[in-house]
Amino acid sequence: MARMKFLCDAERCIECNGCVTACKNENEVPWGVNRRRVVTINDGVIGAEKSISVACMHCSDAPCMAVCPVDCFYKTADGVVLHDKDLCIGCGYCFYACPFGAPQFPQAGAFGLRGKMDKCTFCAGGPEEDKSEAEFKKYGRNRLAEGKLPACAEMCSTKALLGGDGDVIADIYRERVARRGSKGAEAWGWGSAYGQPPKGGAAPAAAPAKKS
Amino acid sequence: MQTLSRLTGWLILGLALSFQAAAQAPAPADPVKDQQKRSVEQPGNNAPVWRDVKSGQPNYTSVPGREVGVLVQQQARFPGQEHMTTAGEAWRKFRNGPITFYGGWLVVLVLAVIAAIYYTQGPIKLHDKPSGRMIERFTLAERWAHWVMAISFCVLGVSGLILLFGKHVLLPVFGATLFAWLGSLAKNLHNFVAPLFIVSLLVFIVMYIKDNLPEKGDMNWLMNGWKMFKGEHLPSGRFNAGEKAWFWAGVVVLSLIICVSGLILLFPNFDQVRATMQQASVVHAIAAVLVIAAAIGHIYMGTVGVEGAYGNMRDGMTDETWAKEHHQYWYEDVKSGKAGVKTAAKPGAAPQTQH
Repeated sequence: MARMKFLCDAERCIECNGCVTACKNENEVPWGVNRRRVVTINDGVIGAEKSISVACMHCSDAPCMAVCPVDCFYKTADGVVLHDKDLCIGCGYCFYACPFGAPQFPQAGAFGLRGKMDKCTFCAGGPEEDKSEAEFKKYGRNRLAEGKLPACAEMCSTKALLGGDGDVIADIYRERVARRGSKGAEAWGWGSAYGQPPKGGAAPAAAPAKKS
Repeated sequence: MQTLSRLTGWLILGLALSFQAAAQAPAPADPVKDQQKRSVEQPGNNAPVWRDVKSGQPNYTSVPGREVGVLVQQQARFPGQEHMTTAGEAWRKFRNGPITFYGGWLVVLVLAVIAAIYYTQGPIKLHDKPSGRMIERFTLAERWAHWVMAISFCVLGVSGLILLFGKHVLLPVFGATLFAWLGSLAKNLHNFVAPLFIVSLLVFIVMYIKDNLPEKGDMNWLMNGWKMFKGEHLPSGRFNAGEKAWFWAGVVVLSLIICVSGLILLFPNFDQVRATMQQASVVHAIAAVLVIAAAIGHIYMGTVGVEGAYGNMRDGMTDETWAKEHHQYWYEDVKSGKAGVKTAAKPGAAPQTQH
């Protein structure tokens, strides 16, 4: 079984926001919710500007899962962290806990009352029947069920954003790093999300998922 | 003189130089310049950028929203944690760790201690027969303030316990669907009852503060008050030192802490950042568990633990015997007219005229 992961190559990301748009379009994400965003560090400074596209990283030991008071999260056999909107109570704890700021809340009333949480599904839908109307309405497209990879990564014009089997994308990244002959091969976010940064481009071992 | 002035001159020069050196030494490297340099000297080495990202500083993004420019939450550590992790992870470990563990067992322990007291010592009963002459212990307004606060407190306490411990206690019994429905109910009750609790709490504090100020006999009561479980009552004013401790620690300090931290969490539309909400949630949970533990004790003493106590707050009237046995100084003040309290016979008995 594949272990699905995202990897964003800061040497390639050009901040085109194609991934953000692809995600919104593919999943028909509600107004005001962005499942993915691109953050630019040292914006506009020649030689120092780096961009990173970030969404839910589908962590090995996901903090959102651990703090949910009604246990609405689950992990698929592919290592994708999904949640059940029928169970979600909109408390916002996953939003406090997530290192990456992935959980989003459509405002559901006055005074900042939160609606059901929405986040990146790795284009894997939700607990409803695969490719059903109900699944699409609540969670967006289930591309994994169609045999495709996430729309954001597929759409990426520079192939900075990679999404797929962690071993495969780590190999691609390692090869890139070797070819560039560059120093420092940190795959951003992998330490926080998957427990161990890929040192020198080595494929990381996924930390065992445990809830505490 | 000349040597002295020369010495002073050298001293000033030396001081000036050392200050300059001190000012230069800790000057932080500019991460932007640092990255520019790195990109030339070691292409692909983005360490300065990653350090910047790790610090949790917001950067540029075209997506609108709060904290969206933060790629990853800043590093943080809650008390008792060995390592720095992202603030969210630290919060998760603290909430799911010490707060849930110690908080949960504290509530269980308090229940066990109270059950043990009830079954070994039994309720505290009156020694003498009720006299039939009644004294007003709580006015109608005081009772309303108490009960609005008490009922809203219970709703908040139970719904809060469901949100913190329900996953471990109720979810395995109820199943996901029913428990999520209960959780949703708990969250909404918690959110909408909270403002009522805050208002009633403030009214309660204003109404009850006067008789909860320290008085004579309080120290003695604090030292020897536990003897009431053996049937021995120490004299006290309208409220004994135990009740005063509950008023000041539970009602004033802890409840106000809970209100302030709760408001931070209740209205997330004031641009407060996640770190603020994590800290507020931790403060809220700790204060709430402590006050719930104390409230369980208060509820016991106010219902089955002390004969007559519940009726006092329900009807507002207490028997003279009860007043004399439990609050002797207050009873004396009432009888001497100092307390300015109404006295009456039990309903049905011949009305007494006051002189």
